[in-house]
Amino acid sequence: MDSWETLTRIFSRNIRAIFSKLPAAPEHIQEIRLRIQAPLLLICNHQEFFLTPEGAFSANPKTAYQVTRQDLKETLEQVGSHSLYAFEEEIRQGFITVPGGHRIGLAGKVVADQGSIRSMKFITFLNVRLAHEVKGCADAVIPRLFHRGTMLHTLVISPPRCGKTTLLRDIIRQVSEGETGVRPGMTVGVVDERSELAACYQGIPQNDVGIRTDVLDCCPKAQGMMMLIRTMAPQVVAVDEIGSRADLEAMEQVMNCGCRLLATVHGSSVEDIRRKPVLKTMMEEQWFQRCVVLKGGTAGAVEGIYQADGQRIL
Amino acid sequence: MTIQIWMRIAGAVCTVAGASGLGFWLAGQYSRRLEELLKLRQMIFLLKGQILYANATLAEAFEEVGGRTEGALSELFQKVARRTAKQDGELFGEIWQAEVKTCQNSVLTRSDMQELAGLGAHLGYMDRDMQERTLLLYLEQLDLTIDGLRQQKQERCRMYSSLGIMGGLFLTILLV
Repeated sequence: MDSWETLTRIFSRNIRAIFSKLPAAPEHIQEIRLRIQAPLLLICNHQEFFLTPEGAFSANPKTAYQVTRQDLKETLEQVGSHSLYAFEEEIRQGFITVPGGHRIGLAGKVVADQGSIRSMKFITFLNVRLAHEVKGCADAVIPRLFHRGTMLHTLVISPPRCGKTTLLRDIIRQVSEGETGVRPGMTVGVVDERSELAACYQGIPQNDVGIRTDVLDCCPKAQGMMMLIRTMAPQVVAVDEIGSRADLEAMEQVMNCGCRLLATVHGSSVEDIRRKPVLKTMMEEQWFQRCVVLKGGTAGAVEGIYQADGQRIL
Repeated sequence: MTIQIWMRIAGAVCTVAGASGLGFWLAGQYSRRLEELLKLRQMIFLLKGQILYANATLAEAFEEVGGRTEGALSELFQKVARRTAKQDGELFGEIWQAEVKTCQNSVLTRSDMQELAGLGAHLGYMDRDMQERTLLLYLEQLDLTIDGLRQQKQERCRMYSSLGIMGGLFLTILLV
């Protein structure tokens, strides 16, 4: 399994040796967690497993391999291609994307300067989140996002870890590709502030986001939306996890420019979003013609799709 | 004249030529070392540019700088770039030390190589300011060495050549 081999290259020599003892590449692996002086932990299919020095899965943390400072030092060097200085902005945001689109979450001692994060030192906690692309998870949603061939402004509402980014990625791909005889492909501009959607590595999307998609990687959402409108002439602008006033102002401009908007937001229901101080205006003024609410479980599992007036259509 | 005298003359000529050659070679090595250090200085400046302004990773920066120059140091930079990009689990400091140690065909002295090996210990570590300081510190050391070599160049080169010729003549008188 090439992608597994590529992934294991980012780990220290000791951890890599443990992975090499595994009889097969672990299936449905979601996360690998490295914490200093704590057991090496894998999450597969939402279940935790500890990994022993012999490369066996265990439920007992005492038998697990204990992650050392040297492991973290070596792993960080590999994650940062021996050049952590080149990832200053990513470190400030708390993650680094590696080949394959996997995201390495970082935690340690934050160096703050006048209230803003300047850097991070003593990085002693790593969370390797494996990129998951679920092609086709938006199949049931896509037909509801178009009306007489026109794409509607759409908001995906979902609690954390319920597959909102996975669903958005597949919507972007399907809108960009189009469907022969049903709807033409559209030019999509993606502002990928946290490299989650396209998971670009050195500018190349590691996830399939469609043939008519342009990606602004690691760019703040509000600025990115305006840049895309000015430079790339998108028909659809897609952003993940909106929430600030600046985002809202940029979104309003996007809509006024005649572009379609595709966005996601953290929340459990339409009502929940209506209660949020910053977001309630856009709900009251019915900016979005479709609200897709996710329920968790599998990626793209839809609880309901609602019209702008709150009427449920699915 | 007997064959013995001819042999003595030939021996004397060979001794003088050999010793003079050694003197000129040493003077040449001195000049080549200075040239190599100047080239290294230029390469470190390019490396600094790649790291600070192009935000290149060490592998990219060493590959780029190594590709723009020629000689043993260029080879060293390219080898380091390839080994770093491989991601075999080695730390950058280990890769750099090992490659500098095995760097051949360079006219640099052992102390030059030791200073060069020390450069790798702090590269890649922490932020861009740290990279800049590490490279500037090394450039300072390099400038001191270059200045010293420049100041003594004429004197040393003349001394090596003269000592070679004089030594050859001395040996000829002594032996022949």
